[in-house]
Amino acid sequence: MSDSSNLLKTTVNDYLENLPESVHNKLYQSSITCLAIFRLLPSLAKFYVMSLLFNEHSVSYIDLTRWIRPDNMTHLVSSSTKSSSSSAVTNFPGAIGKNKMYQNECLKRLKQLNLIKDVRKQWTNPNTGQLTNVVVLQLNPMFRKNFRNALTGSQMSNDLNNDIEMTDVEEVSEEFLDRYSLMKWENILHFMVGSEVPELPSIGVLSLLRHSGLMDIGEENEFIATPKRFKGDNMDLKSMKITQDGFQFLLQDINAQIWQLLLQYLRMSEKLMMNPVDVLNFIFMLGSLELGKQYPVTLLSDTQVIMLEDLVDYGLIYYPEKNRYFYPTRMATTLTSEKTTFKTASMSMNQVLEGGPEVKDHGSIVLETNFKLYCYTTSPLQIAILNLFVHLRTRFANMVTGMITRESVREALRNGITADQIIKYLETHAHSQMKKLAEEKLLKKLEFDSNATETQQIGSQVKLEVIPPTVVDQIKLWQLEMDRLQTFAGFLFKDFANAQEFEQLANYADEVGVMLWRDDDKRKFFVTEEGIGQLNDYANRLKRHRA
Amino acid sequence: MSRRPAVNYLEDEFSSDSYSEEEFPKRRKKVNKKKAQSAMDEIKKQNKDTKFEEDELIEIPLDRPSDFIPDSVSKVFGSSDFSYLKLKPDHASRPIWISPNDGRIILESFSPLSEQAQDFLVTIAEPISRPSFIHEYRITAYSLYAAVSVGLETDDIISVLNRLSKVPVAPSIVNFIRSATISYGKVKLVLKNNRYHVESSQADILQMLLKDEVIGQLRVKSDTLTTTSDGLVRTNKPKSDGLVIAGTAAPASDNSITNTFNTAIGSDPFEDKVEEDDEDEDDDIDKVHSFEIASESVEIVKKRCQEIDYPVLEEYDFRNDQRNPDLDIDLKPSTQIRPYQEKSLSKMFGNGRARSGIIVLPCGAGKTLVGITAACTIKKSVIVLCTSSVSVMQWRQQFLQWCTIQPENVAVFTSENKEMFTGDAGLVVSTYSMVANTRNRSHDSQKVMDFLTSREWGFIILDEVHVVPAAMFRRVVTTIAAHAKLGLTATLVREDDKIGDLNFLIGPKLYEANWMDLAQKGHIANVQCAEVWCPMTSEFYQEYLRETSRKRMLLYIMNPTKFQACQFLIHYHEQRGDKIIVFSDNVYALQEYALKLGKPFIYGSTPQQERMNILQNFQYNDQVNTIFLSKVGDTSIDLPEATCLIQISSHYGSRRQEAQRLGRILRAKRRNDEGFNAFFYSLVSKDTQEMYYSTKRQAFLVDQGYAFKVITHLHGMESLPNLAYSSARERRELLQDVLLKNEDAAGIEAGEDSENMIGGGVSKRVRSGGQSSSATRTTGSLAGLAGGEDMAYVEYSRNKNKELKEHHPLIQKMYYKKKR
Repeated sequence: MSDSSNLLKTTVNDYLENLPESVHNKLYQSSITCLAIFRLLPSLAKFYVMSLLFNEHSVSYIDLTRWIRPDNMTHLVSSSTKSSSSSAVTNFPGAIGKNKMYQNECLKRLKQLNLIKDVRKQWTNPNTGQLTNVVVLQLNPMFRKNFRNALTGSQMSNDLNNDIEMTDVEEVSEEFLDRYSLMKWENILHFMVGSEVPELPSIGVLSLLRHSGLMDIGEENEFIATPKRFKGDNMDLKSMKITQDGFQFLLQDINAQIWQLLLQYLRMSEKLMMNPVDVLNFIFMLGSLELGKQYPVTLLSDTQVIMLEDLVDYGLIYYPEKNRYFYPTRMATTLTSEKTTFKTASMSMNQVLEGGPEVKDHGSIVLETNFKLYCYTTSPLQIAILNLFVHLRTRFANMVTGMITRESVREALRNGITADQIIKYLETHAHSQMKKLAEEKLLKKLEFDSNATETQQIGSQVKLEVIPPTVVDQIKLWQLEMDRLQTFAGFLFKDFANAQEFEQLANYADEVGVMLWRDDDKRKFFVTEEGIGQLNDYANRLKRHRA
Repeated sequence: MSRRPAVNYLEDEFSSDSYSEEEFPKRRKKVNKKKAQSAMDEIKKQNKDTKFEEDELIEIPLDRPSDFIPDSVSKVFGSSDFSYLKLKPDHASRPIWISPNDGRIILESFSPLSEQAQDFLVTIAEPISRPSFIHEYRITAYSLYAAVSVGLETDDIISVLNRLSKVPVAPSIVNFIRSATISYGKVKLVLKNNRYHVESSQADILQMLLKDEVIGQLRVKSDTLTTTSDGLVRTNKPKSDGLVIAGTAAPASDNSITNTFNTAIGSDPFEDKVEEDDEDEDDDIDKVHSFEIASESVEIVKKRCQEIDYPVLEEYDFRNDQRNPDLDIDLKPSTQIRPYQEKSLSKMFGNGRARSGIIVLPCGAGKTLVGITAACTIKKSVIVLCTSSVSVMQWRQQFLQWCTIQPENVAVFTSENKEMFTGDAGLVVSTYSMVANTRNRSHDSQKVMDFLTSREWGFIILDEVHVVPAAMFRRVVTTIAAHAKLGLTATLVREDDKIGDLNFLIGPKLYEANWMDLAQKGHIANVQCAEVWCPMTSEFYQEYLRETSRKRMLLYIMNPTKFQACQFLIHYHEQRGDKIIVFSDNVYALQEYALKLGKPFIYGSTPQQERMNILQNFQYNDQVNTIFLSKVGDTSIDLPEATCLIQISSHYGSRRQEAQRLGRILRAKRRNDEGFNAFFYSLVSKDTQEMYYSTKRQAFLVDQGYAFKVITHLHGMESLPNLAYSSARERRELLQDVLLKNEDAAGIEAGEDSENMIGGGVSKRVRSGGQSSSATRTTGSLAGLAGGEDMAYVEYSRNKNKELKEHHPLIQKMYYKKKR
């Protein structure tokens, strides 16, 4: 599982976990939602849910723990015997209880989602007749009922999959939907990177971008969010600029991007008094729809119809005829599935890092030690993203050339993009030739190191350097250059009655090492936040002493 | 003029080197303001501020098709958006793009075709950058001149470019190549059997020359050779048949470049026709036409040809030269020459004659051997000119080491040594300043000079051509009559624009090697470059902000942190067993550092004997592992033991100096040890001008593919025992010392050093001239600050008008336009 989709899951889960119990119970009334939430769980949690689902009796906590192999046991056993390489990691003292932690994590999540509940029961030991308190776990009955329905399919209520015969609908191919949704989505991304777009995203999208902190208007004309639904100064929103979060957003894969915006949408919808249960149900429902099929609008609630129109702006929905039927696009149908079909760069990077040799030809950027950058691309979006931190020079049919300069990087930094983000982006998109060379170099280094230093720990400093380390360093240095000022929170002492008082206190501050700045002429000094207590005590002592 | 190219390629190239603006911002500002004011007034007088109607305005059509629709990001690129150039269907197997507006060529070095493409491109274009993956070249008028002079034809150039290019070659490029090559290389001046012939493969050009009022009269009617009806002599085209470059197995061949393409690319449906045409015309092309001129009139003909835009190429048919006696010289059988050396020589001897030109090889890559091999191929009397007396001895020694020449035939002409060889033919090694000297000479040296000027030389080798000012070159080239000239250098870059002159004084650049390539193949050492940032201590920085720019320099060089860094690095590398050279341009700092650290040092005033002593100790004594050198060590000092180099003060933004210094460790003896790295550290004081210069200096090496790692903190420096200036008191004392120093101490070494010495003959005059007028003095120091430190700038600007006439008009137009 790739990192980025893990990240996405935690954000969705965080949101879900923080909902109140009543909302959870309402959510679990829909079997589709139950299924979707189940999909988002970590695998051990899934396993627990499954083991409880068709079990009419409650299960004790002790029994659940038995599923987990206690890892500290292996430590005790294998310390004397020869340990295999796989157990070497867990043998490390710090790793004890790793499995345990994972289990606790899963249980905590299940509880927060109100999927399971602790119940204390009294239990009589059949042999001794002793009464003991035992903790047993129960699955949420509403969830159990509807999730069973979802799996066994007896009562698929509220399901759009029931075939409703539609006449006179236009045939829409999957390719068309893919093209349509990508076009819509890329239009938004284009707007974010500041390239000229033929059609501005809708006001709804714009204000969502702003509320989510992905883009921002300049400080001087601070835009005050109106509580009314998606209202804002049109002109201000159009001149928004990308923020640091926005750049991070661009680096994610498309599925994560959509989720991030949808969550933001959820938060906003609460303010707008939309029923979050309706909203969530609809989002989860989208995930279970079939690509290339049309669905009638009549099955949706009022809130959901409003949502439907909003989602059109993101390319999740193709909605050719108002109030009759709509098509979910691939972006919508893959929302809750674990595999996304839109392959993006950050995913491919993860695959490369995990050592998949088959995805080698995905990268496109060649970065030289002389800071010249060549990118094999035809995508205006990628060019626009590059333009955020590269001084682009010439463009050919399948390649652009440019140079990373101090100015171009500073410009990006000023827009809130960080050096790490730039470096990550370059690494992610590095050309296969660069990766190849980096791997060769790494191998050679490892070989040389193992020859030269037998006793030293091998490979301690050696790592894969896909983009030239000098360029990496330089970009980081440019960032450091931007923030040379250091700020300290602290306290200023001034207006001393006499020189002696000043001297005493200032010298004490010097001695205990909390002094940040002092000016003997003006009898002022500044101490750190931590030092103020000490200094106060000392001052009081002095006062008492004097008195 | 009809042949004016559509785009001015050169302007961009030279303006990137402008240096004066950054160096003297304040002074410039004042002048600029005055200038701006007067210019404004002038403009107001001359032009009226009329409003024009929309249809009155002239629309400049961009060079792109009308159906090109810019997309959302086109604006970023402005006129450099060439996405309208459609890709050829098999573009993936073709390695280059050509930018239509500035002639930039971008090459994928990982393409299977790249090796051949590099061979070809280095012939027709100037390499701009050659790092690991993507190389850049640029087609310029000079580079095309060079290409033509090694025998490439216009159509070949265009057709091979087209084969390599992923997109069809833009018409603007085709036009430029045609306009620049139409007259170049068409006429050759050949010395055959001691008679001068004007030769060309195209009879009509000769006919035209004969009709010229000046040249026509100078023609000598030959009675021994049969002439055709039009009065021309028809002979076979010269071929390399049988000429073997000394030390190589196979005969030199000229057409290797085009041949490799034919085999590598295979048949291309569009190009097939061209090839066939070539075959058909073969009979015709093999004939050349010529007429004879008298030797007295050679200069006049050359000048006239230049004036009418048909510059003559000089070739030396040494195999048919019977007047000059042969020199008994050959490479020793044990001498091996490397593939790239052979390649560079094959460019020189491509058609069986010797062409004049420049060969560019990195320091330590065996330039000397290339020169020696060339001399062994020509086998006539040879004169070698180099930059210092140290390198004179090194050349002599190398000649004796590599080839069979007898020691009595090798003569050395320096201020100490003035003997000559006695035989018919021989070898003379001397310095530029000895030969170009215009002052009164001693009786002995006058005698030698008379000897040198009175005879004809088969071959002249000009070492380190980049450092020699044009004026001096002109004197050398005119006083010594040599048939073939070979210039050798590592860095054909200068901060001023004197490089262009070399094209006309010596000849075109014949070959330029790829540094990274040589390093990979182990011919030169692998070098780890690092820039160490030394923060200024607060006391020093305070003074730095207060002082004038001259004094500032002293402050950032003497920065205690820098000293500590230097001490730490020396300590660290001595522990590793490295031999270290520390470079400082500033003599005051050199002495301070060396004395404080107890290391030997050499600078301009160090006597010859002491120098030799120190250098020998450095090479053979394992107690002496570090030496301090001033600028005298920049070039030509051959120390293969050195493996680590630390630079504490340098010459402003001189890219050449940086490259030359790096060259000191490229020939490291231990370079072929497994995993061996040489180290190059440049210490710069943070937040000072040095940072700016440092980036500028590195530009050349970075373009060759070297990566400078920035080190902001030397781990463990604080814990070094006996670390100098570790107490505040010591630092204050140092600061006091520095502040008491005269401004002159901040200056660069003025005395004898390898580069200034060359200017010696000239600079005497310049200096006296400079005192009479303060204005010219300013100009001199400006140029000096930027790397043209030989003070020849003044002389150069005085002679500008004279030079103008000698340049090819096409070059003149492009080259001088911005100066007017």
